[in-house]
Amino acid sequence: MDRMTEAKREYHDIPIPQELSERVALEVERAEKKRRFSLLKRRIASAAAMVIVLFVTGLNTSEVFAREMNDIPVIGTLARIFTIRSYETETEDLKISVDIPSVEMIAEDLQGLEKEINEDIYAFCEQYAKEAEGRAKEYRQAFLDTGGTREEWEEHEITIKVWYEVKAQTDRYLSLTVKGAESWVSAYSEERYYNLDMETGKWITLHDILGDDYAGIVRRSILTQIKQRQAEEGTNYWPDRWKGIDDSTKFYMNRNQEPVVVLEKYEIAPGAEGQLEFEIRKEDW
Amino acid sequence: MKQELYRKLVAYLVENQDKFYRLAFSYLKNQEDALDVVQSAICKALEHYGELKSEAALKTWFYRIVLNESIILYNKRKREILTQDSEWMEQSYEEKGFDIHDDLYARIDRMEETAQKIIKLRFFEELTLEEIAQVLEMNVNTVKAKLYRGLKALKIAEGEEEETWTV
Repeated sequence: MDRMTEAKREYHDIPIPQELSERVALEVERAEKKRRFSLLKRRIASAAAMVIVLFVTGLNTSEVFAREMNDIPVIGTLARIFTIRSYETETEDLKISVDIPSVEMIAEDLQGLEKEINEDIYAFCEQYAKEAEGRAKEYRQAFLDTGGTREEWEEHEITIKVWYEVKAQTDRYLSLTVKGAESWVSAYSEERYYNLDMETGKWITLHDILGDDYAGIVRRSILTQIKQRQAEEGTNYWPDRWKGIDDSTKFYMNRNQEPVVVLEKYEIAPGAEGQLEFEIRKEDW
Repeated sequence: MKQELYRKLVAYLVENQDKFYRLAFSYLKNQEDALDVVQSAICKALEHYGELKSEAALKTWFYRIVLNESIILYNKRKREILTQDSEWMEQSYEEKGFDIHDDLYARIDRMEETAQKIIKLRFFEELTLEEIAQVLEMNVNTVKAKLYRGLKALKIAEGEEEETWTV
């Protein structure tokens, strides 16, 4: 017989102890227990971290952003938004839920601008939540003072919410809006639009994009658009009452890197129309 | 996905436990140590199954773990013997090199570590050269070269025809 075959036989003649299968089964069982425990631990940890994770991956969960996602291959490499602070409190009178975003940019020479932006966003969120809470307490006091009972008050669902949405992100611009709202009154709702130029790490204004005549450009574009809309939808606009725009006018950058101007309720049309958005197309610049 | 792979890994380990035991025993020559090696290899594999890329890599990945665990314990035992009893050591470890009267199995046992692994995996465990290359994380050509060199060394001593061992 071939010597290698002989050696192989010798090797295969190594007796297998009965204990082997027990030891193997024991180890498999032990690993299974460990694994189940760690899965459980992970689940608990992830539940706790969920609010944070929600917006670390938030760019993907935003509906607007999900649409952008398919078209932009290098998304997220330039800027990332995540929730820096998120809390929910619930007292017997009041529910508060706050999500404060933070922008992280990957760019050179930002010279602390990123920090400035985030501090600004943070201050806005905190201030809104605080003021809204004050208003809620005043409201409650007024309610009780004018003969309302505690039971009746508790039937009110008083909620304060501060959150944010990514309007659009392109390889050049990032636009997000930070919003504050109170469930019992809309008069104090606030929203701010933040537009960042990721190449420079700076805020952008309509002036930056459209140049010195930005107000004129926007005005002409909007007036043309409302004529069209009026013809198409029959909405009654108020072009004569409209004062035009200035550098505090809200806007965001869309996926074509064109500004979308947001006009307040009542600003150019009856309140029922709500906020109105107008794209300022490149051909109008 | 991961769950599925984990189940397959467990099934593979349970099914092939005899093979792993023999391989470990071929190094340790001792039942208790071989059992320990198999057990700790399984423990490692199940703990780190996340590193396993695919079902296809399962076999070679686990052979690598068994070999590593075997060699670790083998070296540990060798060191213990060296420090405990130098006389005993002389008897059992000084006799390196080929002895015409030993059978081939005993001589494979005394081969250099890598050549020994290759020959055991190729002829005893019947792995392909590609599989061995994966186990040892080596280039297939290197495995081939080392295998031929190893066989040659064994054959020269025995004066056997190369053709009789199909690689």
